[in-house]
Amino acid sequence: MLRLRFHGRGGQGAKVASRVLGTAAFLDGYNAQDFPLYGAERRGAPITAFTRISRDDIMERGLVSDPDIVIVMDETLLSDPQAMPLSGLKKGGIVFVNTPLSPLETKEEYGIEDHVITLDITKVSLDMIGKSVLSSLAAGVASRIAGIGEEALKGALEKELSGIISDRDLLGKNTEAALYCYNTLVPVQVKTAETIREKENVITLPFETARVSSPAINATGNTPLRRTGNWRVFRPVWNYDICTRCMTCVSRCPEGCIRLNEDGYPYADYDNCKGCLVCAEECPVKAITKVREIHSRSEEGDQ
Amino acid sequence: MGKEMLTGNSAAAWGVRLAEVDYIPAYPITPQTEIIETIAKWISDGSMDASFVTMDSEHSMITAAGAASATGARTFTTTSSQGLLYGFEMIYTVAGWRVPLVMVNVSRGLSSPITLGPDHNDILAVRDSGFLQIHCETCQEVLDSVLMAYRLAEDERVLLPVMVNMDGFYLSFTREAVEIPDVEKVRSFLPEYRPEHAFFKAARPMAQGVAVLGGDYYSYFKYQMHLASQNALEIYKEVCDDFERIFGRKYEVIDEYMMEDAEYILVMTNSFSTLGKAAVKRAREDGVKAGLLRPRFLRPFPESEIKNALKGKKAVAVIDQNISVGKGGIIYSEMAGCLYNEIDRPLLLSFIGGLGGKNISQKEFEFIFEKMISASDTGIVEPPSLLYTESELEGITKLKEIAGKE
Amino acid sequence: MDTSTIRSIKELPPEENMLPGTAACAGCGGLLTLRYCLKALGDKIVIVNAAGCFTLLTIYPFSPFRNSWLYTAMACAPAGAQGVRDALDILIKKGKLDPEENLKVVVLSGDGSAYDMALSSTSGAIYRNLDFYYICYDNEAYGNTGFQHSGASPFGSRTGTTPPGKEVPVGSQLQKKNLFDIWNSHKPPYIATVSPAYPVDLMNKFKKAEQFKGPKLFISHIPCPPGWGFDPSRSVRLAKLSVETGLWPLKESVHGEVEHTYVPKKFKPVEEYLKEQERFSHLFKPVRQEDALKSIQEMVDEYWKKHELLP
Repeated sequence: MLRLRFHGRGGQGAKVASRVLGTAAFLDGYNAQDFPLYGAERRGAPITAFTRISRDDIMERGLVSDPDIVIVMDETLLSDPQAMPLSGLKKGGIVFVNTPLSPLETKEEYGIEDHVITLDITKVSLDMIGKSVLSSLAAGVASRIAGIGEEALKGALEKELSGIISDRDLLGKNTEAALYCYNTLVPVQVKTAETIREKENVITLPFETARVSSPAINATGNTPLRRTGNWRVFRPVWNYDICTRCMTCVSRCPEGCIRLNEDGYPYADYDNCKGCLVCAEECPVKAITKVREIHSRSEEGDQ
Repeated sequence: MGKEMLTGNSAAAWGVRLAEVDYIPAYPITPQTEIIETIAKWISDGSMDASFVTMDSEHSMITAAGAASATGARTFTTTSSQGLLYGFEMIYTVAGWRVPLVMVNVSRGLSSPITLGPDHNDILAVRDSGFLQIHCETCQEVLDSVLMAYRLAEDERVLLPVMVNMDGFYLSFTREAVEIPDVEKVRSFLPEYRPEHAFFKAARPMAQGVAVLGGDYYSYFKYQMHLASQNALEIYKEVCDDFERIFGRKYEVIDEYMMEDAEYILVMTNSFSTLGKAAVKRAREDGVKAGLLRPRFLRPFPESEIKNALKGKKAVAVIDQNISVGKGGIIYSEMAGCLYNEIDRPLLLSFIGGLGGKNISQKEFEFIFEKMISASDTGIVEPPSLLYTESELEGITKLKEIAGKE
Repeated sequence: MDTSTIRSIKELPPEENMLPGTAACAGCGGLLTLRYCLKALGDKIVIVNAAGCFTLLTIYPFSPFRNSWLYTAMACAPAGAQGVRDALDILIKKGKLDPEENLKVVVLSGDGSAYDMALSSTSGAIYRNLDFYYICYDNEAYGNTGFQHSGASPFGSRTGTTPPGKEVPVGSQLQKKNLFDIWNSHKPPYIATVSPAYPVDLMNKFKKAEQFKGPKLFISHIPCPPGWGFDPSRSVRLAKLSVETGLWPLKESVHGEVEHTYVPKKFKPVEEYLKEQERFSHLFKPVRQEDALKSIQEMVDEYWKKHELLP
């Protein structure tokens, strides 16, 4: 059995990608199962989806904790302590990363020892579809790595996307982009073994008084520990030469994470800024520009 | 204060008054309404210092009650039947808040068909919610149980809400002599509630009732409720001993009547247990070694006490004043589950009786004892059945004719 | 709180009573409204929450608030507020709670709760003259479940349960309920509509409300990036457009007497607002639904005509 785990951000299309792959496998004669994981998090937050593909009956349910293939649709997730896309990846497994970097560069950048495949599907999407929607492209990539036939992928794209994309032209572009990704990747052999189950102790839960065992929180204002800054695709960057310190950005930030420095100039708490960019949109003098997160990483020290 | 003739409803109200409850959100429903009217009157005439509000539904009422409990006030509320079901969602919610709300449910059969007489489908519907359940046989027991319920609910080793149940009409509207305890004595039994885990205060902000996502975390919180409920059986022994010491009345988690050398046992709850006890007495006169076991607590389920009490008995007949449609008696199933692993377990018979307040006659009790004896002799247990007499069948037949049923 | 009015965003209180890091969507208009409301209310409050998007602001073990919080259920946050308010009052009266520990009680609910499921418990709380604040963040659908039709969904909008199709090209065929008027028929001391794009107006309304004992109710129209279908950065712009087109009148009612607090000098055509959102895109393509667009504009015009405020 092949177990795939898709890691994306809310709104990027990880769920649809896992469904397209599931349907493609089904159309290709496999047994398949796909499943998204909904948490409390919203658009922009890390999310996961799963697909299982097998010649035999699939006697599994729930989360894939030991994937053979991991599809990382957003590179920033690799350094996200909550997403942890590589966790549980089996020996001999494959990591696909959506990045302009080469596999070797990616391995070095993120310290990955497993087999890495890369393609900048965001760029493909922007070039071929005109916007960044990654579901069909990720499905194309995953289908190739999982060894699914091209016809099955085509069928699955039609079946899954026609329900959500009414514009035939857009659907066609999606299919083209997916097939481009499919055919750009070189086929690979997934060389993972079936999982050997590890032993874990089952314990007897001890009683604790309601003071500690009721679902109440005595800490206050501790959500910054969650560091939602990793939801960001673009970051706001201020140009203090233009900024008039008018306070609009400080006031308009839904998160309340723009503060003032000693000189009264605004700066963002990048640990928590979700990158909605209301600040940039609302800035009356356009002193805030949006910078693709991946490119600005090296600039972090300069801020 | 001495003894007074009180209805079950007034007895409940007295329990609330003596517990010096702070807050009572209310909503009327038959047959519970007398409780809230009595309390409202006392507050209005100054004999009770509490805040009272009539809400817009039972759902709102239970919410307000739970929220007040979560704020740190000693709170009471009460309902019946449809009202309990209307507030059903909040029963689970409030239990999960781990707040010591005490509620009285005055049992009444559930719609549809809509009816007024008592049975226990309402209270048993909330069986799995986390509320502890005390079921009462007498008006005195109602008053005393309200006081014990607060002691138990507010104990930091428990901290779960408690529901005290009485039968509509047969207890709620029935007057009998009730000893009204002295308030000073009640204070020594039930000290002022000082919450350490759930309150709202400016200086110590707290988020209560928050979302818990992830099965492993959710499991922890739910199972802690279960452990706390189980704890209550142990804690109750202290409560029960203190109560006996101060007031001279003793209520165990199960009530045993003529059980010592008994061979044939009736299992019943609530007010009709009195009828069962009378039947046991008569059976004894006829030479049948009869006895009756009445679980006072249904949650937590007093498993070891029941096992112990029924050890070596020949046959046990559970009379369920409820029906799980498609399965049968609810308490029968619980008893079967309780006894299954016992080596020396008795035969277990199931009867549905007293639905919607239908009487259980002397004849029906005799029928039950006959069935127990024959099962014991032959080893064959007949399937569960409804207690229904020939004259009752004639009655419904007449009504059907009038209703134009062929 | 200083009850004098403020004139600009520079005078907004600097304290942040809700911290970042919540699960709310990037660009959530409701979060911005709530942030302003908490600036106005301070941290000596307990929020009683109804099921909705904001229920997930607190997820064990995290809370963004400096204040207290109680999640109840969808139908009954006002009833929860009643319990908390009454409990605080009686505990203080009986000397069991130091008056210094007192809190303001604030209901926080989405439109699904406020317009639909909790209407009965809200009506009850207003009728009983409960001393509380009520904040409804209205994104015009059941957002937390993925954007289904609620009593607040406007005519012509696409929701999960009003998908435009061959038989029903317009999407929602129903007009948004008028919650302001429903509340106002109870004649509570204070009701206001607010918008996250007008924080000064919002803040001054809270300042004004503070003088009243009893129900103080606020409905905030809030743009919802995923539900309405627009880029999160346009959130405030959309909130502004809904006011500038006249779709969302900013007003208040004191004991039943309604006054508008802001009237645009020149109303923008509603199309400007509609065409920015995916949920109205079917009104423009593949064919323009003239009748629907016209009726939305007429509805707005009629409102302002009725109030004799149309320039």
